[in-house]
Amino acid sequence: MTDTLEDDLKVMIVETLALEDVDPKSIETDAPLFGEGLGLDSIDALELALAIHSKFGVRTKENDERNREYYHSVKSLAAFIREEQAKAPASGA
Amino acid sequence: MRVSTATHRANDDILRLVRKGCVVFTVGVYILLVPFSCLIFAALYLIWRPTPLARLRRTQALVSLGYRTMHRWLNLVRLTRWDMSRPLEKVPEGAFVVIANHPTLMDVTAIMGLLGGACTVSKPGLHKRFVLRPILRGSGVIAGAGGDPSAAARVLDEAVALIEQGFPMLIFPEGTRSPRGELLPFGRAAFEMACRARVPVLSLAITCEPAWLSKEQPLFDPPHQTPHLQLVTLAIDDPARVDYDSRQLCRLIEGRYQQWFRGLQPEISAVEPEMHNR
Repeated sequence: MTDTLEDDLKVMIVETLALEDVDPKSIETDAPLFGEGLGLDSIDALELALAIHSKFGVRTKENDERNREYYHSVKSLAAFIREEQAKAPASGA
Repeated sequence: MRVSTATHRANDDILRLVRKGCVVFTVGVYILLVPFSCLIFAALYLIWRPTPLARLRRTQALVSLGYRTMHRWLNLVRLTRWDMSRPLEKVPEGAFVVIANHPTLMDVTAIMGLLGGACTVSKPGLHKRFVLRPILRGSGVIAGAGGDPSAAARVLDEAVALIEQGFPMLIFPEGTRSPRGELLPFGRAAFEMACRARVPVLSLAITCEPAWLSKEQPLFDPPHQTPHLQLVTLAIDDPARVDYDSRQLCRLIEGRYQQWFRGLQPEISAVEPEMHNR
């Protein structure tokens, strides 16, 4: 159950980026998304950022030096979303 | 036979030393000229008071002239061999995105020189340098995203705006210099720019044999033979043929490059033993 967000993200990556030959289950949670991992590029990252915003309401801030860290793997992306979602009610209060 | 081999080796060593001397002299002259060039740039920037667009065009024309002069010099001192008089084929009228493989640092200056100027995207780190930043911005060089997904949107917007103003946009889709005997996977940025701006993609195929200023062959270690630089037009593609789908366009063009590159391998292998014998 703890992997729900990670699984959602894997499905979202495959659907958003139309990765026809990739099974979401085959994406390793820790593996790099870019370069030698899943082989995504900068435009994929941009599409992913837009999809994350529309699905999870989490915005990727421009010029945040940690963006590379957040988008490193499904695991880091899930941690980023959880962190931002946890901040949201606090900032709204 | 032994004497002849020894003489040959001695000649090789002398030639290598002369070549290295030429590189050191060229780099020395370059370093001496840099402050003056910056002053000329600054003065012209103040004198030229037309629209920012006209200023950018003039700056790029000046940069292009500088690159052509540099290549003439490199040809003259036999550091490289490149037939600059051969124009590129099928260069489209108006704006376009030009892509190329990236075997050497000389290909950037050669393309810019041939096209009479172009905008491009560079590593974001270069734009953080105080002296370089105004020069880069003034000549239409955009700071790259550096793996930041939110910055990728800004890069695309800036690039498309420049293309729509009629500037060619030079992008190396591998994102870095090609390792020897390899073609790295293409990123989609160049194709996305072409699709958004609805302009053609000019594909250039570049060879530099033997390799120099590649990842493996540094500036101060020029090869024994004079490196022969060649630039040819591989194709020109209208993104309308793939319904402005950058993913499809990327696949189509990357496949063509792979095919060209496979055909090139015997030529590279033929030069390889020469390099190892150095």
